[in-house]
Amino acid sequence: MKARSYDIVVVGGGLVGAAIAYGLAEPSRRVAMLDEGDRASRAARGNFGLIWVQGKGIDYPPYAAWTRASAQRWSELATRLREETGIDVALQQRGGVHLCLSERELTVRSALVARATVANGIEILDRNALMHLLPGIGSDVAGASYCAADGHVNPLKLLHALHAAFVARGGSIVSDCAVRNVATGRGGFTLTTATGPIDAARVVLAAGLGNATLAPQLGLSAPVRAQRGQIIALERAPPMLPLPVETLRQTDSGTILAGDSQEENASTETSMGVLSAIAARAVRAFPRLAEARVVRCWAALRVLTPDRYPIYQQSRTAPGAFVATCHSGVTLAAAHAIELAPQIAAGSLGAALLPFSADRFDVAVAN
Amino acid sequence: MSPLPTDAVLPAACDVAIVGAGPAGMAAATLAAEFGLDAVLLDEHAAPGGEVYRESAAASAERRAALGPDYELGVAAIAALERSGAHHVPGARVCGVANVAEGFELCIAIDQDAGILKARCVILAVGALERALQIDGWTLPGVTSAGAAQRQLRASGDVPAGPTVLAGCGPLLYQVAQQLCAAGANVVAILDTLSVARFVRALPSAIEFMRSPYYARGAKLLKDVNETVPIYHDVLVLSALGNEKLVSVRFTANKRTVTLIADHLVLHQGIVPEIHLADSLGCDMVWNDTAACWKPRVDTWGGSSVAGVFIAGDGAGIAGANGAAHRGALAAIAAAAALGRIDTPKRDAAAVVHRQALAQSLRGRRFLDTLYRPPERFRIPRGDTIVCRCENVTAREVIAAVHEGCTGPNQLKIFVRCGMGPCQGRDCSLAVTEIIARERGVHPSAVGRFRARFPAQALTLGQLAMLPSSPADRLAVTRLPEDE
Repeated sequence: MKARSYDIVVVGGGLVGAAIAYGLAEPSRRVAMLDEGDRASRAARGNFGLIWVQGKGIDYPPYAAWTRASAQRWSELATRLREETGIDVALQQRGGVHLCLSERELTVRSALVARATVANGIEILDRNALMHLLPGIGSDVAGASYCAADGHVNPLKLLHALHAAFVARGGSIVSDCAVRNVATGRGGFTLTTATGPIDAARVVLAAGLGNATLAPQLGLSAPVRAQRGQIIALERAPPMLPLPVETLRQTDSGTILAGDSQEENASTETSMGVLSAIAARAVRAFPRLAEARVVRCWAALRVLTPDRYPIYQQSRTAPGAFVATCHSGVTLAAAHAIELAPQIAAGSLGAALLPFSADRFDVAVAN
Repeated sequence: MSPLPTDAVLPAACDVAIVGAGPAGMAAATLAAEFGLDAVLLDEHAAPGGEVYRESAAASAERRAALGPDYELGVAAIAALERSGAHHVPGARVCGVANVAEGFELCIAIDQDAGILKARCVILAVGALERALQIDGWTLPGVTSAGAAQRQLRASGDVPAGPTVLAGCGPLLYQVAQQLCAAGANVVAILDTLSVARFVRALPSAIEFMRSPYYARGAKLLKDVNETVPIYHDVLVLSALGNEKLVSVRFTANKRTVTLIADHLVLHQGIVPEIHLADSLGCDMVWNDTAACWKPRVDTWGGSSVAGVFIAGDGAGIAGANGAAHRGALAAIAAAAALGRIDTPKRDAAAVVHRQALAQSLRGRRFLDTLYRPPERFRIPRGDTIVCRCENVTAREVIAAVHEGCTGPNQLKIFVRCGMGPCQGRDCSLAVTEIIARERGVHPSAVGRFRARFPAQALTLGQLAMLPSSPADRLAVTRLPEDE
């Protein structure tokens, strides 16, 4: 079979791959985004839709800065996507809340907030202040942390818009195209895929959990593991949640989503025990939700690095090969499309991205 | 609200849980109990019987006469169930079944309560659901399905007022027409979408059919209806018209387009296996080309691809009430063997009578399946016809998403929300699979179907919160260890 050939191939059609591919696409450049089939694991499908700054990178300032920069550029991304595709991703960025359902939780949260730098913009609200922001909270709610930079979008519309905008800018989506392996070849790289070979001058690995096996083939490293999260979708309701709560949000169509869980489990099955724990917490936060009908529940896999921070890196042994992985595909979508993609296009990642090299996991060995 | 189980309502554990108290589930529960198994029969209705024997538990003398032999069969099955010692739990909605190390956990909702029933084996006897007939205007008030019209007639005796039109195909359409006429409804026409070509296609199996018990009943039904209601055959185009509600029905048959004023339109185009619970358990499904729907892959005992899960009755493929009962019995026999109650020779001996009766009741099925497969033009909608009524998604939008690169139903959910509503795709799943297959030029089995999500039945967040959770489950959610 004759190999298809592109200037840049992005492996992965999820939120990370699609944001980067969209940022790379332009008429003079042949860019392909390789996507898997209908039952791919797809972290994007499980994304809760938060643009979340509070609490991120308290112990790793480069990550805090990268997150904040992305949040700041989100309205620019949303505007561009609407102009280019007509799709409104339902961005709302009026702040977000992390609820504490006991004095003990509030103490733990306050200690975290105390460690945050001023730039993180996170503050503690007591119960009275919170009642004004979120009427209807239950009697267990002791307080909350709040950050004005937080917000939410519709992650499914975002994925759809990124795909549509990528195609509108001249990019090619190749579906059902799982990548089996990738190697350096004539003038670049050759990918062996489910639909035949593909040649590329440059390759961006944004394959989520698939990066773990693909990255080492190009002298890169992506030691990622799966962490399961479960979500409950409730029936549509009149507006009742003016702000997203880290584990509860009301979508633009009125659906209320309740999450989430962090489980060391690589299956995408739901479990009734964890769903019950999520439901119990949501009912304690907003007692009136007890009457709401559950429409569906699902589980998806987060893509976690050992320290939970992203990896962005170009291969030293195979220049032109890049890896990108993170678990905050919505929050970082603006940074990926607007900041990261142009650096990949230029052929080198800037100094601000050096802290995200996977070399950080080798420090113990190097020392 | 209080968590289950409470001894009076729901036991905590059993040998075999049977879901659905229709002919298959009643037979399975009865026989399982007779083998000495601790059998729990769960059904959302107040009385056993399922759709077919719905009235057998408490019908008036007049209705008994009208119901004929079905009534007696239902009474006998219910009496056998009561004698058997199986534990029948009425009003129980089975929201989910999980495969756990020691067997299965069923999430049960009863009224405002919810809880878990543990079972070593599960027999799914959930029956069939109607295949939606998606025409222009099918979501208008005044348009209903034959099954819904029949349930309403039985439940309240309410007869639709004003001119009523029935459209589609399949035996139930004619049965409901007969019942509506008998109840005094103003049925102005039946619009049959079957083409003469289907009769030709079905002809090779017609002789077998004429020897089957279906034939005499079917022939009488058609004759009765034909004498009272005008029937239009070979209907090619069909739409329900009106803005706020149904006003008229327009159709084309014999190259003539006709508009009938109607207050009610009753649609039906056959029934298909209800597979949600089996699918969510990971039981293998296969696309059946004759019936144009998914069926679970089962062995001759009803055993699915998941050990310990048996599927009986119409949920394993449409075979009617009598066949369902024998498949229920076979599943119970296999479950008794799997749980060590009987050995293999005893299992095989017990099965003989049911296998013979099953073969008898399957005669004529091939003719019916071939004849009544709904025509493609009514299975696979086009244009602005709504496919997903929960999310208001049209066929045109589905087709556009496929050409944007959506290769299957689950990506389609992401792109256009099709199938994400409260019905979980029960109305649109088959149509979506077939639209994608047609647009991509591949077989439906290569397209797949929506993932079946928990819960399969209505459940509130408060009920979900009543289910037991382990400290590890709670820690995964709070990320804060308890009892520090």
